[in-house]
Amino acid sequence: MSKSLILETRGLSKVFGGLVAVDSVDLAIETGKITAIIGPNGAGKTTLFNLITGVYPVSQGEVLFKGKLLNKVPPHKRAKLGIARTFQQVHLFGNMTVLENMMTGQHPRSSYGFFEAALRLPKVHREEENITLKAMKYLNLVGLGTHVQQNAQSLPLGQQKLLALARALATEPQLILLDEPGAGLNTLEKRELSDLVRRIREMGVTVILVEHDMPLVMGLAEWVVVLDSGQKISEGTAAQVQKDRKVIAAYLGEEEV
Amino acid sequence: MLTRLKSNWSYLAIAALFVFLILIPFDWFLGQYTTLMIFVGIYTIVTVGLCMLMGYTGQVSLGQAAFFGTGAYISAILSKTYGVNPWLAMFIAAAMTGAFAYIIGYPIFRLKGNYLAMATLGLGLIMWILFVQLRQFTGGPDGMSGIPYLSIGGFVFSTSLKRYFLVWFFCLAVLLISQNIVRSRMGRALRAIHGSEAAAESLGINVTQFKVKILVLSAVYASLAGSLLVYNITVVNPQTFDFLASVKLVVMAVIGGLASIWGAIFGAGATRILSDELLLRFGEWDVIVYGLILVLVMIFMPEGLFVKLKEVFERLRLRFRQKGAEP
Repeated sequence: MSKSLILETRGLSKVFGGLVAVDSVDLAIETGKITAIIGPNGAGKTTLFNLITGVYPVSQGEVLFKGKLLNKVPPHKRAKLGIARTFQQVHLFGNMTVLENMMTGQHPRSSYGFFEAALRLPKVHREEENITLKAMKYLNLVGLGTHVQQNAQSLPLGQQKLLALARALATEPQLILLDEPGAGLNTLEKRELSDLVRRIREMGVTVILVEHDMPLVMGLAEWVVVLDSGQKISEGTAAQVQKDRKVIAAYLGEEEV
Repeated sequence: MLTRLKSNWSYLAIAALFVFLILIPFDWFLGQYTTLMIFVGIYTIVTVGLCMLMGYTGQVSLGQAAFFGTGAYISAILSKTYGVNPWLAMFIAAAMTGAFAYIIGYPIFRLKGNYLAMATLGLGLIMWILFVQLRQFTGGPDGMSGIPYLSIGGFVFSTSLKRYFLVWFFCLAVLLISQNIVRSRMGRALRAIHGSEAAAESLGINVTQFKVKILVLSAVYASLAGSLLVYNITVVNPQTFDFLASVKLVVMAVIGGLASIWGAIFGAGATRILSDELLLRFGEWDVIVYGLILVLVMIFMPEGLFVKLKEVFERLRLRFRQKGAEP
């Protein structure tokens, strides 16, 4: 094997009642690349994310992370293994400050428990110091270092999305899944987002993103996977995919002959 | 700098609280309220657990009196009927109540929101019926009397003054432990679950396990409080742990501010003073007053009365300082 794969899915399917949301999808995600998953609304992109992160149990098929079968691994353990994600609806902790949101991101990388916390043993101080340091590091990376004490909910949407991204990075993942990171952002913010995603890749984190904004995807993604009605209909570089008849048909509708 | 200043203030507040608590039993101060303050301490312990469960983790419990009563009855039965040392009985009660919470925790937390509230309400009712019906153990509706006092060697906690200090020793320990937990990665995880379970899980937080653990902690607190209660009044009867008791506990937590550890003292204090001093002539109509308080606080100050007062105090302080800064 010449290329190292960080994530693989084999015949991955998800059935809700009678609806096949994801239909035997094979993915092979290369380590260190930016991959985009695109497709019309209802194509199963977010469901695919939920299968990879373990929010939904798999109906059929396999999810492998660095060659390890994930099917039976609960979601919180996948975070510890090195898979992070963001959500379409942001899902910040509105009852916490920006810094506390970030510190929560360090949860899988810290270890002291209830007992140590209750008695505030020295280990707590040591780890808390480290947690704050890491939180600030990733907060500065997305340029929110000056909003530390602000309530997370009080940020404008663009910054909320950056915070959610930084919080996911604070789990120090090897693979990060971004669900529509560009939605609701203006042109300037989208450009900044592109730069940020490239920087994340340079840090050695593999990126998979679901995105509707085609210019953003085409400028960013090194590999594009196209889903339609739960099936993978095409994949390749941005240029290859754009020329694929099946892709054009899926987006614009097929001409009746 | 700002946080440093803030934490200095909170140390000052805690120190002031210490002094206040030590002065209370003196006759020239609030001596006649020593007994009342014993109950405030006991109920504060239950309320803190409820705050961590409801305010921080966002999991409603309308049956906290079940754990309170379980602790009380296990302590009473062990030390009265079986002659077990009260301290040991208290420890066994806490362990058993905690184990009980652990066992029911996993099935009960498959439920969320209103359904969870209903389930905990049911738990409270079931336990109350058991307290009343298991006559051969609990003494039925009449309860039990002649439960011994706690003692260390020859030192018996027989006067209300001694018990006052005993109860508040436990109460402050519980408050400090709770504050430490809340201000740690555990506390952040709990609040994360309240904020968004999906996001919490994606950050590696084992949501169900955390909910169960905090339920166990709140149950152990409630059990400890129940034990302290029976070793204070040396009697136990089921009315103390009925549905209304669970509602009163929620009122205490809400008045103090659901997400406020130290507010619990305020909530428990205000509610006990209401029920022991002001509402006696209302008889059973006091339920209406509690209901009204609950509704009004939730509408006008959902953060709780205590938190609101703190806010007002902060605002006044800032305004005062600004005025002082002007030439």
